[in-house]
Amino acid sequence: MADVKTQDFFAASAVSIQDPILRQALIKVGTGFDGARLAAIEDVTPNRWDEWREEARRIKIHTLDHLDYYLDLLERNVAKAGGQVHFAADAAQANAIVAGIARSGGVKIVTKGKSMVSEELSLNPVLESIGVEVFETDLGEYIIQLAGETPSHLVAPALHKTKEQVAQLFSDKLGLPLLESIEDMAKAAREILREKFLQAEMGISGANFLVAETGTLVIITNEGNGRMCTSAPRIHVGITGMEKVIPSLQDLAVFLRLLPRSATGQRITSYVSMVTGPRRETDEDGPEEFHLVIVDNGRSKMLADPELREALYCIRCGACLNICPVYKKVGGHAYGWVYPGPIGAVVSPLLVGLKQAKDLPHASSLCGACREVCPVKINIPRMLLHLRNELAESPDPKTNAATPAARLMARGYAWLMSSPALLSLSHRLARSLQRPLLMLPFSPLTKGAGGIGRVRLPFLSRWTRAKDLPLLPPRTFHEIWQQELSQTARRRDT
Amino acid sequence: MPSSAGIGKEEFLASVRRALGRSPGPPAAAYPRLEETTQDLEDQARELRLRLETQGPRLMDQLATVAELQGWKVHRAEDPEDAMAAVLAVADSVGARTAVRTGQDVFYEVPLDAGAMNWGLAVFTATHDEGLDRQAVRDRIIEAEIGITGADYAVAETGSVVVVPRQGLGRLVSLVPPVHVAVVRPQDVVETLDDVFLLRRLEYHRNGGEMGSYLNFITGPSRTADIEQTLVVGVHGPKEAHMVLLG
Repeated sequence: MADVKTQDFFAASAVSIQDPILRQALIKVGTGFDGARLAAIEDVTPNRWDEWREEARRIKIHTLDHLDYYLDLLERNVAKAGGQVHFAADAAQANAIVAGIARSGGVKIVTKGKSMVSEELSLNPVLESIGVEVFETDLGEYIIQLAGETPSHLVAPALHKTKEQVAQLFSDKLGLPLLESIEDMAKAAREILREKFLQAEMGISGANFLVAETGTLVIITNEGNGRMCTSAPRIHVGITGMEKVIPSLQDLAVFLRLLPRSATGQRITSYVSMVTGPRRETDEDGPEEFHLVIVDNGRSKMLADPELREALYCIRCGACLNICPVYKKVGGHAYGWVYPGPIGAVVSPLLVGLKQAKDLPHASSLCGACREVCPVKINIPRMLLHLRNELAESPDPKTNAATPAARLMARGYAWLMSSPALLSLSHRLARSLQRPLLMLPFSPLTKGAGGIGRVRLPFLSRWTRAKDLPLLPPRTFHEIWQQELSQTARRRDT
Repeated sequence: MPSSAGIGKEEFLASVRRALGRSPGPPAAAYPRLEETTQDLEDQARELRLRLETQGPRLMDQLATVAELQGWKVHRAEDPEDAMAAVLAVADSVGARTAVRTGQDVFYEVPLDAGAMNWGLAVFTATHDEGLDRQAVRDRIIEAEIGITGADYAVAETGSVVVVPRQGLGRLVSLVPPVHVAVVRPQDVVETLDDVFLLRRLEYHRNGGEMGSYLNFITGPSRTADIEQTLVVGVHGPKEAHMVLLG
């Protein structure tokens, strides 16, 4: 499995938040990807966006609730079409299956389309260890493969790099002159990888969807590398998580409407390719062998927990990254594993272990934007809260279990919030307590911008380290509202 | 046949069932789409065809508009002669001398080969037979400057051309050459994605569970925005995509 650095989230985010190049790229994520998404949804006439989201969600709920049935149906239909399905319980098994297919096929060169699951499994080093050369062919993946890095975004894996950095990389690793335009870089990748596509004995792709009814693997791409990987080499291996199955071919339509719009603001991507078994006897071209590797690797744990099952509905569009105030500050690498952003903060702890990724459920302001943009309406904030609760209730002190002070505070807060009278009393009390402190010449309360500067209360230190705790205003909203009401009543009377 | 490196299907499904707390068997409430018979699909397809007939010209216009938005260069052609001229004009614009085409029916209507020959464009039909093996066909496709195909369907909703590779229709013709020209006839045009999937399902049912090994929706040129989120056209697929709309 891919290296897990999720335990370093806070340290890594403190570093990446200072990176000026990353900051520029992340600003563009908001204006570019999310702006395009909004425009594409606006363009849907009549506006059935929400209907589509509901339909997609219904399909996912139904399929995941009966996943064993649909996986069985899928397997039988892939076999009927002449393909072979392999089942892998974990990353080691999945990698061994692919390595086995490569070995028995005498494979020397593999071209690979974009696959987040293969990143999760860390497949490439395993293939390389048996003497196979692996070429990532999605431009972004090719760049990070050359750089020896991991993806920083679900859809645009190399968005953290500038074109100057890519030019330098192409010069260092490929011996090219320093290219100036992005067009030239794309052209260079086309020329180099074109040759590899035609030499490769094996193409590997991921899957966006698997259709149980017909035994079909569906990939959604823009560059054409996915078509190359599934058309040119003699063997095609599709590798994917078990949650990707949908029942009928006709269920695909709604997902083809939701995914490209949510990911890149496209009405549809340049290519949607559907593979059903190997090439038939009379076909002109296409692979002679088709293998589908279906991977669990921790997903059945998500399936088993009704609170977390909906994380498996994710179609990996990246919309929740593009809107997330945390992702847009720290970028993808800080999350420490393959899946970044809000959905990554839910999925990673479940796949690598909550203890390893105990800070990720806290990598959120719980603003709810991710849930609003999700094309399958996944309630990410609810799951983050659930994970936080699990951590707080954990008997293991190393998993962010709540301290006695935090427990006491939470209990006190709950008690206060349960009664309007108590809340208002506490406000008045706190207001009179902060007054003498404000009058001190070097009061810690006056250092920040109109708030408590750097008060380090033991149980609030994480909050007050990075932001001000605002002063209580002279009047609470409740008091203002009461006054408004009585004034209105008075006006009406007179 | 279970793979030696993985686990068997039954073992895998059993662990999924354990996670779900479910016993083997279909969903208690059947999934409506999977219950449909061939006759049901025939009925739906008949309704679909009636709908398409009444909407014909409007759909052609919608297809042309959406296709332009999606990056196709659209050429409207009055008749087959016109369509041929449009294809040759594309060849001329890129200075091409060699082209490959599929063996789809549209080329009976549009007599491309003869017309192209007079023009100085060599059009090769990418089909293997006794005389020519697959590797030789592949080499010709790799050398070609233009790939010309028909459309098994064209989708007005998305501006897509759909090809279903089979004998006479190779996967690489619309992918490998730097320019792709798709010739679309009125009878190829459907309204929505749902229409395509309904018709493919009907095909699958009619043929006893066979609808071919591959299907591609092609929508404009190949593109990427992987460097600095800046759009660049033409990566691994064609840099130019032309749609010739007949009728």
